[in-house]
Amino acid sequence: MIERRRSPRRWRCAVLVSAVAVTALTLSACGTASPNAAGRVQAVGAENQYANVISQIGGKYVQVSAIMSNPSTDPHSFEVSTSVARSIASAQLVVQNGLGYDEFMNQLESASPTTSRDVIDVQSVVGLANDTKNPHLWYDPSAMDKTAVKIEKDLSKIAPSHERYFATRLNAFRISMLHLANVVADFRHQFAGAKVATTEPVADYLLRDLGLDNVTPFRFQADVMNGVDPSPEDIALQQSFSTSHVVKVFCYNAQVSSTVTESLRSLAEKSGVPVVAFYETMPTPGYDYQSWMRAEIAALTKALTTNTSTKEL
Amino acid sequence: MNWLFEPGLFANQSVRTALLVGAVVAVVSGVVGIFTVLRGQSFAGHALTDVAMAGGAGAFLAGVAPLVGFVGGGVVGAGAMDVIGVQRVKGRDIATGVVLGAATGLAALFLYLSATQSAATGTTQLILFGSIFTVQSSTLPAVVALSAVVLATLAIIGRPLLLSSLNLELASARGVRLRAIGFVFMVILAVSVGLSAIIIGSILSTALLIGPPASALKLVTRFGAGVVLAVVLGVLATLLGIVLAYDSYYWTSSHRALPVSFFVVVVVVVEFTLASLVQRRRRSKAPVPARAAVHGDPIGWH
Repeated sequence: MIERRRSPRRWRCAVLVSAVAVTALTLSACGTASPNAAGRVQAVGAENQYANVISQIGGKYVQVSAIMSNPSTDPHSFEVSTSVARSIASAQLVVQNGLGYDEFMNQLESASPTTSRDVIDVQSVVGLANDTKNPHLWYDPSAMDKTAVKIEKDLSKIAPSHERYFATRLNAFRISMLHLANVVADFRHQFAGAKVATTEPVADYLLRDLGLDNVTPFRFQADVMNGVDPSPEDIALQQSFSTSHVVKVFCYNAQVSSTVTESLRSLAEKSGVPVVAFYETMPTPGYDYQSWMRAEIAALTKALTTNTSTKEL
Repeated sequence: MNWLFEPGLFANQSVRTALLVGAVVAVVSGVVGIFTVLRGQSFAGHALTDVAMAGGAGAFLAGVAPLVGFVGGGVVGAGAMDVIGVQRVKGRDIATGVVLGAATGLAALFLYLSATQSAATGTTQLILFGSIFTVQSSTLPAVVALSAVVLATLAIIGRPLLLSSLNLELASARGVRLRAIGFVFMVILAVSVGLSAIIIGSILSTALLIGPPASALKLVTRFGAGVVLAVVLGVLATLLGIVLAYDSYYWTSSHRALPVSFFVVVVVVVEFTLASLVQRRRRSKAPVPARAAVHGDPIGWH
């Protein structure tokens, strides 16, 4: 499923990557990556939410850059630039989502092979099969927690002298994740079984953890994610969720939109169904991963209790 | 009837809009297509689809409705082809090819930018292969107005246009202003291609433009009958394509619906194949082909 979904973009990526590879080779010929002057670990998060977790664990001993962070673009159609290739070529630690979501990372990594780069693939950390249909793993807090543990382990291997420092920071991170887990449990206790509609699978893992009943067929969500037209039957079904007030909240992906999702959103608003915006990448500035997730849950709570929309975080 | 009209077909807002827009556009395409085929300008028509593609992608980037870009782009392309010299039969393919290449390059840039710089999903699919089920019903008045303008213009210039399409010398001897007529037709062609782009996408709109008229001209010889048959075949292909795409949702248990553009093109190809078979059978029955008619009155002009 994922393989099929990705193939056109992968093809496009392949063309780009071959161009990028030439650049990367030229760069590596100029001298191998040296740790920067301050001796900080060079790390890359393919998406800024992963970059955020790296920096929460690594603190002052890690220099982190994020590749995808623009909240007004669709990460599903991201294309690689040479600066991205450069930062990956020199990175000592890379965290990427996997499941085809950031397939270009694999290509860039193999374009500049080195034994000194450690790659954490969240899909493998969680142990998901390649045919897992929903790639938005960071909306699953438990996946993020496991990833943080792995990041701490690997950072300690790369920079053993700061092992204690990393361990302390991981502890702090996991305590705040425990707090997030409590927020999720409270929500579930209060609202479990409430029906919601979605435009795209971005927040599905979180909605599941929250005990919400996502009534939109996955087929429709996948069509929007993959950039093909949903069938008129599914569009009509989605419309009826709002007009017949089947759902309490209309969740939409603010970063993956089309005429269909826009018209469904305005129909929900017209029908008095509150809408809540979800994002592919972490909205910046002002959020870290945990506060972002809490803000999404708070927006859902507001929608369910006061019927208020949150169209922007 | 359930084998053709699945439940909810006519109650579905997307389908209703699609059927209306599709029927109107197919009528225009059929009429314009007949002239295109007679004038041997199929390649020019295809080049205009590429310009429409650039226009559509540009419109998406600028946040304007795709129809505006499809039609606007096509008209600009028609102007460019006229300037470069699409009128002269000798350099015509070169002018067409140059515009086609430039437009496709521009489309590549616009599609790249809209894919990477915006939250929009599926732009490439929509521009290239159409998205009739996502056309908003508010687009219908614009489609009808543009179609009316095209048909009215054709009604006015129809006679001299037809004459110039069949016999340049005769037309010019009768005082037809060939260049002006040719340019007006290119603009009409551009608008027609832009209209069909919203149904089956810019690169497939040639199929609707050329297919039904080509089939019609295989079956009838009189011009009037050709126009009527081209319109009938075009409307049939479009409506049947839309209905089949809707039905395809029920064909598998996973409800994996297939795209409209695919079905429209399937029907167009089937029509053309059947027309070719009929034509071949007629020819084999009448060993002396209707050759004499070419010198006489092939299209019922007089």
